[in-house]
Amino acid sequence: MGFDITVFTAAVLLHFTNKNISAIRLYMVQSAAIGLLLLASTLDRFTPLLLIAAIATITVKVLVAPYFFYGLTKRHDLKFSVSTYLNPPVTLAAIAGLLVLTQIDFFTPLVSLGTSEEKLLRLAFATILVSLLLSINRRGALSQVLGILSLENGIVSFALFAGLEQSPGFQLGITFNILIWVIIATVFASMIFRKFGSLDVTSMKKLRD
Amino acid sequence: MDFFSSSGVFYALIAVFLAGAIGALFLRRKDSAANIWGNSLAATGSLAGLLFAGASLLHGSATAFSLGTSFPLLTLTFRLDRLSAFFMLTVCFVALICSVYAIGYVRHYYGKYSVGVLGFFYNIFIASMILVMTVHNALFFLIVWEVMSLASYFLVIYESRQSANIRAGSFYLIMTHTGTAFIIVSFLLMYKVTGSFDFETIAAGLAGASALMKNAIFLTALIGFGVKAGIIPLHTWLPGAHPAAPSHVSALMSGVMIKTGIYMLMRISLDILTGSYWWGIALLAIGAASSLLGVLYALSEHDLKRLLAYHSIENIGIILLGLGSAVVFSSAGMDTLAVLALAAALFHTLNHATFKALLFLGAGSVIAATHTRNIEKYGGLIRYMPLTALFFLIGAMAISALPPLNGFFSEWLTFQAMFQGVTAFGLTTRIVFILAIGSLAFTGGLAAACFVKAFGITFLARPRSEAIAAAREPSVLSRLAMAGMSAAIIGLGLFSGVVMRLLEGVAGSLGSLRGAAPPGSAQFQSVSIENGFARISMPVVFAGIAVAFIGVMAAVYSFTRKRKTITGPTWDCGTRLTPRMEITATGFSRSIITVMRGVLRPSSETEIEYHDANRYFPKFGTVTMGLRDIYQPFIYRPLRELTAMIARHVRKVQGGNVNAYILYIFLTLIGLLILLDVGS
Repeated sequence: MGFDITVFTAAVLLHFTNKNISAIRLYMVQSAAIGLLLLASTLDRFTPLLLIAAIATITVKVLVAPYFFYGLTKRHDLKFSVSTYLNPPVTLAAIAGLLVLTQIDFFTPLVSLGTSEEKLLRLAFATILVSLLLSINRRGALSQVLGILSLENGIVSFALFAGLEQSPGFQLGITFNILIWVIIATVFASMIFRKFGSLDVTSMKKLRD
Repeated sequence: MDFFSSSGVFYALIAVFLAGAIGALFLRRKDSAANIWGNSLAATGSLAGLLFAGASLLHGSATAFSLGTSFPLLTLTFRLDRLSAFFMLTVCFVALICSVYAIGYVRHYYGKYSVGVLGFFYNIFIASMILVMTVHNALFFLIVWEVMSLASYFLVIYESRQSANIRAGSFYLIMTHTGTAFIIVSFLLMYKVTGSFDFETIAAGLAGASALMKNAIFLTALIGFGVKAGIIPLHTWLPGAHPAAPSHVSALMSGVMIKTGIYMLMRISLDILTGSYWWGIALLAIGAASSLLGVLYALSEHDLKRLLAYHSIENIGIILLGLGSAVVFSSAGMDTLAVLALAAALFHTLNHATFKALLFLGAGSVIAATHTRNIEKYGGLIRYMPLTALFFLIGAMAISALPPLNGFFSEWLTFQAMFQGVTAFGLTTRIVFILAIGSLAFTGGLAAACFVKAFGITFLARPRSEAIAAAREPSVLSRLAMAGMSAAIIGLGLFSGVVMRLLEGVAGSLGSLRGAAPPGSAQFQSVSIENGFARISMPVVFAGIAVAFIGVMAAVYSFTRKRKTITGPTWDCGTRLTPRMEITATGFSRSIITVMRGVLRPSSETEIEYHDANRYFPKFGTVTMGLRDIYQPFIYRPLRELTAMIARHVRKVQGGNVNAYILYIFLTLIGLLILLDVGS
């Protein structure tokens, strides 16, 4: 229960960080929680592929990806990322709304995937929605990328609680997904900065047509 | 026999194609190595596929095997019943011949285009066609269908420095994906009724579906697979795309790829579903229109490969005449007649694959030697390429349904099936069958006229361009491949009774026709239709033609052996004979096109240059004939404009703001969850 609360809390706190460094650290914590969840699952029912997925998650998401992001912020001197569409109180209200939404009957078909872990599934789904909200609300590309990566962590935790961790498709998915995501995210952010001299995506309106 | 039809052989042959594809790509820097590796492995895989499909066909009962995945709806299930074994056999046979031909043919690409890339997509293309015939799960089917479409697209644009090829490829890509969209809708409708993507479960579950649902499934499948088959009016991509590809690929596309659409139409209308009366009538009408218009368009063509491509539309029409008749018979409970009609359609599928592949290979040899596809620039090639001319003549005779070759037998059989329709039904259906018979008869005559033009203008008379003098026969392997295909065409004609018996078994194995016996009997010595309605003996036809030929030759020899042969100039009315005095392809087809101008709407332009200002003495005249495209202004342009209009409105959502795009995803997700909740 502790790990999944960590995953959710990190997703919420990402909304209220002003510094990119803090956001990266929160992502590290969230990813570490996911990695530990996968490791715990490996200890419960061992499969080599799941162990590889757990190790890959910890290596890439907790060590490699933050290292890249640190490098990016250092290279381009991107300390702050506070530009949002919604102010903090409204953001908090929106997060609360999403949390309430996950508790009502709309999601019954989804949470019925794992009836024994219904509460955790709802929480994991709330993590997914809150992370999406982060990508919608933030103007900075790095924050958006972190929002998408947090969303991906939410999906992994959802799949874990739905009992899909033993599926080879899931395990392979995690292994490849994280690698591809980090590469794309890093290249994406670097290209935006080189082109626009900023990570503020509103500058990307120039790309229209 | 059991060994050849085992799952291990199947996986091994797919692995051979993959090895051929990847190996060719690795060897791309050395053209000759990439050519030999890619095409040799394609030939090996095809041979293995031929043995596998042949063994499965003779084995009789269906074999199934599967590979599990962790995705609940996607199981890699393979099932080889007689129908899929027959189609796989056809694919592998044509692919084997084309691959042997390609080893020699591909040499002319050395140093111009990447042979490794060609080998990669070629192997993937053949493997994907085999998988299309064997998979038994709709989701998996869509994946391999898409792989087939993409591989063929890259083969169409292989000669990428020619902008016409890129245009043809882009149009093909759009059309094939439009077709795929309809196929997806069809499969989703099946899923909605049965809750499964497994074809066997779908077939069982659809029995109780409403007529409306069955009609919707059939209609969407007809459009989706009809695009791939090239039925009129969904054929517009075909005359551009098939000729653009390298000739051995054109042979595969025209000979077998379009049959994947036919395969699925047969599967859906007679195996997964039980055909209804109007489906059969619709197939007959489409078949009649496609066969007749296809051959008329071919008549007006000057591009040798486009001419052959239009004949593919014609032959797909003939196959649909057989299939449509089978569906009409099946809907009326006349299963024995349905088996006869379906066997005719299957026989013509096999025959068309063989003679069309041979014609494309022959055309490829001519084009590689002359560097032009314009038949007006050929002439007299028989002197420089006698073997190619012989093989092309065999293909031309077969496609013109001349006895004793295979095309004659399958068209005869299609006629017999439709004659049975005339005698078995009431007035309305009888009229439909009579019209279909009329169109087939007309088509046969026009096809013969078209190939008199194609063969005569290409190989006979005098050369009409300087390039002809430099033309030479293709490599030994290419000639060997064409000889093999010619032998197959003759063999399928001679042994048509034996093949017919095999195909009756295939037709009688399909869902709604299971166990039905064909009317009449099929044996090597003769094939007869119910109650002595018709009877033919292909060995006797063969023998008769051989005796007549020998008799004529002997008579000519006996009358002329004592004559002296004197070679001298032809009397030429005092003028110098030049190639310009020969009849041209345009001149040959002009009269037929003029007769059919109501349907074809030809455009004609006459240009005359005179010696004198009073215009009494013409220097030379040029007649340029073309056909107005009636499909673009009446079907495709309005559709394009409608799409553009919708796109103009839809693009308003493209604000250039990433946040907005993620918001769309978010709202869609919430909306889908609400729908899911309402649905449950």
